[in-house]
Amino acid sequence: MLVNSKLGTVNFMEGKDKLKQTDKLKLARIIAWGAAIFSLIVSVMLIANYLQLKMVDPLESPALKLLVEQLHENPNDDVLKENIRALDLLIRKAYFTSQWQIRTGAYLLIFGVLVFVLAVRYQKSLRSGLEELESIEKDPFLDKQLARKWLVFSSAGFFVLALLAGFSSSNILDQYEPETVEEKLADNQVEVIEVQPVATPEPVAAEPEVEESPDENLATETEEEHAEEAEPVAVKEEKAADPTSAEVQPAIPSKEEFRKNYPFFRGPDGDGISYKMNVPEKWDMASGDQVLWKVKVPKHGYNSPIVWGDQLFVSGADQEAREVYCYHATSGDLLWTAQANQIQGSPAKMPKVTEDTGLAAPTMATNGQAVFALFGTGDLLATDMNGKRVWAKNLGVPDNHYGHSSSLIIFKDKLIVQYDTNRGSKVMALSTVDGSTQWETTRKVNISWASPVLADVEGKPQLILTADPLVAGYDPETGKELWTVDCMMGEVGPSVGYTNGVVYAANEYAILAAIKIGATAEVIWEESEYLPEVASPLAVDGFLLIATSYGVVACYNATDGTKYWEQEYADGIYASPVYAEGKVYVMDMGGNLHVIRLGKEFELVAESALGEKAVCAPVFANGRMYLRGFDQLYCIGK
Amino acid sequence: MNRLSKIFFTLSAIILSIPAWAQQRFPKPEFETGYVQPATSQTSPRLLFLEYLDVFVLMAALAVATWFVVKKRSRRGVMWTSVFSLLYFGFYREGCICSIGAIQNITLAIFDPAYVLPLTALLFFLLPLVVSLFYGRTFCAGVCPLGAIQDLVAFRPIELPKWLQKVLGMIPYLYLGLAILYAATRSEFLICRYDPFVGFFRFDADFQMLLLGGLFLLVGIFVARPYCRFFCPYGVLLGWMSTFSKKHMQITPSNCIQCKLCANSCPFGAIEKPVEEEGNRRTNVQRLMTYLFFIPLWIGIGGLAGSALHVPLAKFNKTVYLAEQLVVHPEFKQDPDHLDARAFMQSGKSMDTLVEEAKAIRSQFYWGGWLLGGFMGLVVGLTLVKLASHRNRKDYEPDKTNCLSCGRCMDYCPVKN
Ligand code: SF4
Ligand code: SF4
Repeated sequence: MLVNSKLGTVNFMEGKDKLKQTDKLKLARIIAWGAAIFSLIVSVMLIANYLQLKMVDPLESPALKLLVEQLHENPNDDVLKENIRALDLLIRKAYFTSQWQIRTGAYLLIFGVLVFVLAVRYQKSLRSGLEELESIEKDPFLDKQLARKWLVFSSAGFFVLALLAGFSSSNILDQYEPETVEEKLADNQVEVIEVQPVATPEPVAAEPEVEESPDENLATETEEEHAEEAEPVAVKEEKAADPTSAEVQPAIPSKEEFRKNYPFFRGPDGDGISYKMNVPEKWDMASGDQVLWKVKVPKHGYNSPIVWGDQLFVSGADQEAREVYCYHATSGDLLWTAQANQIQGSPAKMPKVTEDTGLAAPTMATNGQAVFALFGTGDLLATDMNGKRVWAKNLGVPDNHYGHSSSLIIFKDKLIVQYDTNRGSKVMALSTVDGSTQWETTRKVNISWASPVLADVEGKPQLILTADPLVAGYDPETGKELWTVDCMMGEVGPSVGYTNGVVYAANEYAILAAIKIGATAEVIWEESEYLPEVASPLAVDGFLLIATSYGVVACYNATDGTKYWEQEYADGIYASPVYAEGKVYVMDMGGNLHVIRLGKEFELVAESALGEKAVCAPVFANGRMYLRGFDQLYCIGK
Repeated sequence: MNRLSKIFFTLSAIILSIPAWAQQRFPKPEFETGYVQPATSQTSPRLLFLEYLDVFVLMAALAVATWFVVKKRSRRGVMWTSVFSLLYFGFYREGCICSIGAIQNITLAIFDPAYVLPLTALLFFLLPLVVSLFYGRTFCAGVCPLGAIQDLVAFRPIELPKWLQKVLGMIPYLYLGLAILYAATRSEFLICRYDPFVGFFRFDADFQMLLLGGLFLLVGIFVARPYCRFFCPYGVLLGWMSTFSKKHMQITPSNCIQCKLCANSCPFGAIEKPVEEEGNRRTNVQRLMTYLFFIPLWIGIGGLAGSALHVPLAKFNKTVYLAEQLVVHPEFKQDPDHLDARAFMQSGKSMDTLVEEAKAIRSQFYWGGWLLGGFMGLVVGLTLVKLASHRNRKDYEPDKTNCLSCGRCMDYCPVKN
C-alpha cells in the first residue's frame, strides 16, 4: 500500500492516480495550515481570556467594594442594595461565562492541534520516500564500552548520592517523646476526655485523674478574695462546709418556678421562649430613657445573663482567671464574685480559643439553690446563691478549636452538660447537689457548639441536642437515646427550636430541617434559603424564625415551611432571637435590638441601639429586660 | 488507505455512541398528554456493562494491532489503530483505566487484603502482558494512548548515543520500583499522579502537569516517545515479556539480504545490527566474568542506598508527613485551617498513636527501600553483564525487549514476501 520509491516498485501509476496523489497532498497541506492557524487564533484568545479572568475575581471587584463601603455608611439605602446585587450578579455572570469560554477554547485548541498533527502525518505518509533518522557514527564494540562506563559511573554516583541524602536527612519522628502527663496538662492536649458508654450513676471519686501538685496553683493564684477557700486544696471535689446545702436535700423547683425566672440560656426551657408579661420594648441610651442601670463586667464573656429572683449572674474569663459575678437585678450592684480556681485537673495553661468565642462562652444555669458555670477550660463551678463554692470539678479540657460554648441546663436535680469535642462527644447529667455523675451517654457525633433544649413531648420531658450529623432526643432522667435523625452537617452552632412536637434544627451551609417527633422521628420539611451560623431557630405559635450571620431575619410557617417574610439588617446576627409576649426580640451584632411583632406580615414594633457590639440574647425578668454588650451589662425598664 | 481510515472512524463513532444507547435503550412511550419527558440523568458510577465494553475494546484493539503488525505487516494499519485507541482510551475514557496504572491496583491488592481488585483492572494489566509474551509489544504500538500521542508528534526523530539510552533506560526500573513501593505502603498512586498526558485527555489539570505533558510532546518531536522509552514502568514489564516472544514481528518477511536499508529506520534505536566479536576472546570472557562477579556487590550497594533513603522516601506518605509536621509544629493541632491536622484531631487519636503509626509505615519503607535498592542494583548489574557479553548476529533484527512493534522498519525492507 505504501509507495516505495527507493526501489521504484510502484512507479507505473496511471496519470489519474498521480493527480489524485497531488490533490491529496494539497488537501492535506491546506488542512494542516488551516488547523495550525485555527489553533493559533484559539490559543491567543485563550491567553487573553485567561488574563482577563485573572483580573476579575468576583470577590475582589473594586467597584463592588466601593458600593459595599457606601452601604456601611447608609445601611438603609435600598437603591444602593439593589445596585450591589445587580453588579454582583453581573460580575459573577461574566466570571462564569469566561470560565466556560476557557473550557470550550481548550477543547477547540486540542481539536485543532489534533487535526494539524494528523494532517501532517497523513501528508508525510503520502510523500514518496522513507525518512531516515538523523543518524550518528556507530561502532558496536566501542559503543558498548562507553555505555558500560557511563552506566557504572552514573549508577554508582546515584547510589552514593542516595546514601548521602539518606544519612543527612533528619529523623524527625525519633525526636518525638511520648507525652508525659505533666506535659499534657501544660499542653492542654492530654486531658483526653474518656467517653464511656456507661449510663449508670457513678460515684464521684471514680475519675482517673492525675494528682497534680496543688502547691503550684496555690503559689500563682491570688487568695485575698476567698480566704476561706484556702483550706481543702487537694480534695477532689469540694463539698460545701455549709451543713444546710450538704445534708438536707433541697426540694426540686417546679416548672412554674423555673418559668417565673430566667434560669438558662434562651429561657426556662432553653428554646428561646419566655413567659414574661409587660416586657420593655425600647430605650434611649443617649437620654437614658428606660435605662435603669448599666455596669461594666470585670472580665469578658459571651454568655448571656441568667436571673433568679433579684439576682442576676454572668461569668467572665481571661488568661488569668475565671469568675462568676452576681449582680443585684434591681440596682445593678455587684453582690459577689466567685473564682473558679484550684480545681483538680484544671489546665495550667489556658487552651487556645478564638477571640470570638473566648473562655467564658457557655451561659450559666441556676435552680435557685445554686448557680453553675462552665468555662472553656472544662472547669465547672457550683456555688450557692451567696457565692460560696458548693462543688467544683474539671470535666476534662475540651478539645475545641474555637472554644467550648455549649450552655448548661437543669432538669430536676440534674445539671445537663453537652460535651461534644474533637476527641469524642457525650452528654452527661451531674447531680446539682454534689456534682456526681448521674448518667453519661456517648454520642456518635462530631464536635458542636450548640446547647441542650428541654422540650415537652406529648407530656414527657425530652432533652434535644443537635450536632453534625445527628439531631437526637434523650430521656433526661436516664440519658437514654430516644431517637436520632441524620440531617446536620458542618460546625453546628445553633441549638434547636421546638414547638408543638416538631424540632427545628439548622446550620449554615447545611439545612434547615423540621423534624416531627413522637413514636418515630422524621423530617417533614426542609429549607435552605436562609441558614443561621450561630443564632438558634426560634419556633413559637406556628411560626419559625431564622436569623443569619449576614443580617437576614426570615419568618416561616412552622408547619410546612412556607416563607412569610424576610427582613435584612446591615449587621449580622449571632444572638438567638427570643420570644416574649407576642414579640420577637432580635439583637444584631451592631448592638441594635429589633422588636418584631410575631405574625404573617413583618411588623416592626421598636428599634433601639445599645451603642456597643452585642452577641447575647435579651433576658427578661421582673418586668425588665437585661442585655449584655461586649463590655457592659444593661437593665432596661421603667 | 482511505478505506481503512474510514472504517476506523466509523467504528470509533459507533463505539463512542454506545453509552448514548445505554441510557436510552427503551423507546419513550408516546402518550398524547403533552407531558414532556425529563432528560435522563446519567448514573455516576460507570455502568458495569461499559466497563466490560472497555475490556472488550482493549481486546479488540490488541487483536487488530497484533494482526496489523505480525500478519499484515502494515505500518499504516497500526498507526490508525493507535489513533483510534488515542481517541477511545485517551480522550473518551480520559486516560483512566490504563494498563500502566493498573500496576498499582495489582500491588495494592497484594498488600492490602481489604482492597477489592476490580476485574477490569486485572484484565487491563494482564492482557497486554500475555499478548506481549507471544507477539511482542503490539500494545505499545497500537493500543496505549500515551504511546499513540507521542508517536503522532515524532516528526524529526534523532538517534541518541547508546550510552545515553542505557543510562536513561534505568529510569523506568526505578519508577516501577517506586510505584510499587508507594502502592504497597498505601501511600500514593505515583503513576497516576504524575501521568504527563492525562491533563490533555481530560482537558484540565494543574498548570504544572500540562506543562510537563507539553514538554514531553515537545521533546518527543526529536526524541521519539520519550515517556515510553525512559519513564514508562509498564514498558519494563512488557519488555520482559516481549523478550521471550516467539512470534515477534521481524523486519523482513523472509530472509535478510543485508542491504542495510533498515539500519537507520528505527526512531527508538531498537534495531540490532549484525555483529562479529571484536577484541580478544579471552579478555572478553574475563570482562564478562568480572561483571557477573560484581552483581551481588551492586545489589548490596543498591540495597544499602535504598534503605538509607527510607526517611526521605517515607515523607511522601500522608500519615508520616502529618506526624512529622505535628512533632515539629505542635501548634498546627489548633490551626482550624490545617485540614489534615483537624481531621486527625477529630478522629480522637492521640499523638502517641499517630507517631506509632508513622513509625510503622516508615519501617515498611525501610524494608521496601532495601528491596527497591537491591532491585536497582540487580538491574544495573545485569545491564552491565548484557553490555559486556557478546552474541554473534548475522541479520538486522529488532531488539525484542525495546522494540515497540511500531512497524516502521518493515516498510524499509525491500524484501516484500
Ligand atoms: S512503553 Fe508504556 S507508555 Fe509507551 S506505549 Fe508502551 S505501555 Fe504505553
Ligand atoms: S517495529 Fe521496528 S521501528 Fe518499530 S520499534 Fe520495533 S524495531 Fe523500531
